[in-house]
Amino acid sequence: MAERITDIGPPKYDKFLPPVIKENYGKWKYHEILEPGVLMHVSESGAKVYSVRGGAARLVTTDLVKELCDIADKFCDGYLRFTSRNNVEFLLTDQGKIAGVKDACKKMGVPIGATGHSVSNIVHTQGWVHCHTPAIDASGIVKSVMDDLFDYFGSHKLPAQVRIALACCLNMCGAVHCSDIAILGIHRTAPKVNHDRLRHLCEIPTTIAACPTGAIRPHPDKSIKSVVVNEERCMYCGNCYTMCPALPVFDSEKGGVALLVGGKVSNSKTPPMFSKLAVPYLPNNPPRWPEVVQAIRKIITKYAEGANKWERVGEWVERIGWEKFFEVCDIPFTFQHIDDYRWAYDTYRTSMHFKF
Amino acid sequence: MALSKEELVEFIYDMVLKAQGKKQLKAMDLQKAVLKAHPDQDKTMVKFAIKELIDTGRCVYTYFGGSFVEIPHEEGAAKH
Amino acid sequence: MSDTPLLDQLESGPWPSFVKDLKRVAARKPAAKDLLKQLDRSYKDKITHWKHGGIVGVLGYGSGIIGRYSDLPDEFPGVEHFHTIRVNQPSGWFYTTQALRDLCDIWDRHGSSILNVHGSTGDMIFLGTTTDELEPTFAELTAKGWDLGGSGSAMRTPSCCVGKARCEYSCYDTMDFCYEMTQEFQFDMHRPSFPYKFKIKCSGCPNDCVAAVARADLSVIGVWKDDIRIDQAAVAAYHAGEIKPRGGGSPYAKLDVKADVTDLCPTACMSFDGKKLAIDNKNCNHCMHCISLMPQALRVGTDTGATLLLGSHAPILEGAQMSWVIVPFTEMEPPYDNIKELIANIHEWWSENGKNRERVGELMLRLGMRNFFKSVGLEPPSQTVRTPRANPFFFWHAEDFEAEAAGRKYIKI
Repeated sequence: MAERITDIGPPKYDKFLPPVIKENYGKWKYHEILEPGVLMHVSESGAKVYSVRGGAARLVTTDLVKELCDIADKFCDGYLRFTSRNNVEFLLTDQGKIAGVKDACKKMGVPIGATGHSVSNIVHTQGWVHCHTPAIDASGIVKSVMDDLFDYFGSHKLPAQVRIALACCLNMCGAVHCSDIAILGIHRTAPKVNHDRLRHLCEIPTTIAACPTGAIRPHPDKSIKSVVVNEERCMYCGNCYTMCPALPVFDSEKGGVALLVGGKVSNSKTPPMFSKLAVPYLPNNPPRWPEVVQAIRKIITKYAEGANKWERVGEWVERIGWEKFFEVCDIPFTFQHIDDYRWAYDTYRTSMHFKF
Repeated sequence: MALSKEELVEFIYDMVLKAQGKKQLKAMDLQKAVLKAHPDQDKTMVKFAIKELIDTGRCVYTYFGGSFVEIPHEEGAAKH
Repeated sequence: MSDTPLLDQLESGPWPSFVKDLKRVAARKPAAKDLLKQLDRSYKDKITHWKHGGIVGVLGYGSGIIGRYSDLPDEFPGVEHFHTIRVNQPSGWFYTTQALRDLCDIWDRHGSSILNVHGSTGDMIFLGTTTDELEPTFAELTAKGWDLGGSGSAMRTPSCCVGKARCEYSCYDTMDFCYEMTQEFQFDMHRPSFPYKFKIKCSGCPNDCVAAVARADLSVIGVWKDDIRIDQAAVAAYHAGEIKPRGGGSPYAKLDVKADVTDLCPTACMSFDGKKLAIDNKNCNHCMHCISLMPQALRVGTDTGATLLLGSHAPILEGAQMSWVIVPFTEMEPPYDNIKELIANIHEWWSENGKNRERVGELMLRLGMRNFFKSVGLEPPSQTVRTPRANPFFFWHAEDFEAEAAGRKYIKI
């Protein structure tokens, strides 16, 4: 066992920094966006670095990563980086090479953009590709939405940047709850207990303990050696299924998509905001989820028309009021929009400041 | 009285064994139980006793919404 | 007839198609082929076909591997086991092509050749291998200097924005701090012993490009305390339309410094008389709007450090929280011993008091901020609240009377 290596952590970052980054570390003075997807950072020393930013599906193959490496080898002395929104960046010191990188990306099918007032890459979770509790797929919806919004990825047409994120169930591995537009997979029914399988596969005490709301009890008939779910207490988190595969929370017809709108993390002008429920339910409609794509396009179109300069989606909605937002986006207001969870009162209107 | 390193390892292993199938114990549950029975036990020793049980494969960490220390066993999901 | 008629419809369109990409690998990897087939089945059935595996891992670690099993193993034997490996990313996601090719080669040898660059935690995610391949993959990774990231009730892989490597806004060295924290907490990353997950995310400025405020138990956000640096000539150039606003990243060609910048300042601490920009820095709340709009004219100050905020998490269980200010300003000098000590104190308080699956932010609400501040050894700063309480239900402790008698404002911490 002596040769086993553990607890070394990742390689130190400085091994991977291109010389221009190393030399100007902490000395950057300002930046310009020369065109959508191309940044220029200028150092106090006068040095410049050009970054060409491209979008890729977050779910990729080693073939694709190696192709990105080929571009970096050819133009960037073998260095590249990725961003917090799953974009790839090629860093150059020679402005003359920008065209070559863009060309190579184009050949590969990697679109250039994601700077300034664009719709950047959608950050997302695993969906049906790898997760055990999703209501929806992730990559397929992202592909469908980005195909539709493609024009916004490589342009600066919007009043401010628009950040979209997707989480495939309410556990929200992607922490999408502070996005301009959050696409959320929702279950709407409690798990169905398969008593025969449960007896064979699961430990009853630990399954009961797995429920965060205490909704699972032993089956009243002890001879069945199973559990029952109190459907009124269940909030569809799927943790019981994590513990016990005989408690699937999926329903092929009732599962679907909710859209939450108006969140942000930046402090610019207004404090960070949570995304709030805009559309409580849209059908789960693979492979292209047209209802979701249309609903998002409508919100973005209305935002682009209605927002003031520099206004994020949430700032626009807060200014016009949510009742106006529902009106301009043709979204019916439902019981589901009214909070009745832990801190609901904070959201009730206690002023005369509303519109008809 | 504080346990020796070997005694501590066995004390913890026993707890995990007895809980098997009934209750999943977290590392902190084990530490609290040790300190209750042996208030003068050094906390860091508990940490390393658990590490020893894991490194030798007598116990494993599991994750079912939370992380637990358990006896290795075949899990439901791995069965057909 | 195609094996994947529904997925095939995702091959068209301008955005990169994961289906097209995965199909290339499916030609040589049975796991990738069956993954696509099972995914197509999910598209037809509208449900997932995965089960969670909670036991698989590499020896000695309780983190870094997520178990997955197909619930249709007879139909899709290539994905009967399809476990995930989290590979701890380098700070700022910088790579050499050599390092990336090494990682790809390891994954080509031992797994499905499918990966996420990167996952929500920041790690590079290797998607899909069998239990038998976990140890060999780990051995090859560590031999090349890589290690696994966090998962489960552990310290999670810290992540950070690009920071001083390529951003003029960055108020501290996010990449170095992230690396130092990752190294400091290796034991806790790989041996899950906390009540639940603990995430650290590091953003260099209040623009918060890694969304630290929303998704990190400890959010470390860069800030400056002194004056915004102004280049008045550049301000005039912006106003004259010689420089485009927001670096050129907006649809607006020309900046009206009054209408676009000073009138939108949330604290009304700036004014512009057509020639000169004045900032009352004492009243600036460092929102960054003016700097983001005029990066060539305005720069963050030089007395820089970070604000520490604690407690954010996604909605499970009590509803989503954002992190709130616990230390308004701290200098960020390596080796960051003061912060390491504070984090260790927070872990101890939380481990001692937290219930299973209770995030530190939820525990703070349950036990109260007084308990927290006292236990971790911090004075309560006024910046920690947006407003003080509006109710009369505040209570006094013996230690408050003692402080009062001794003429102290607060109890001694």
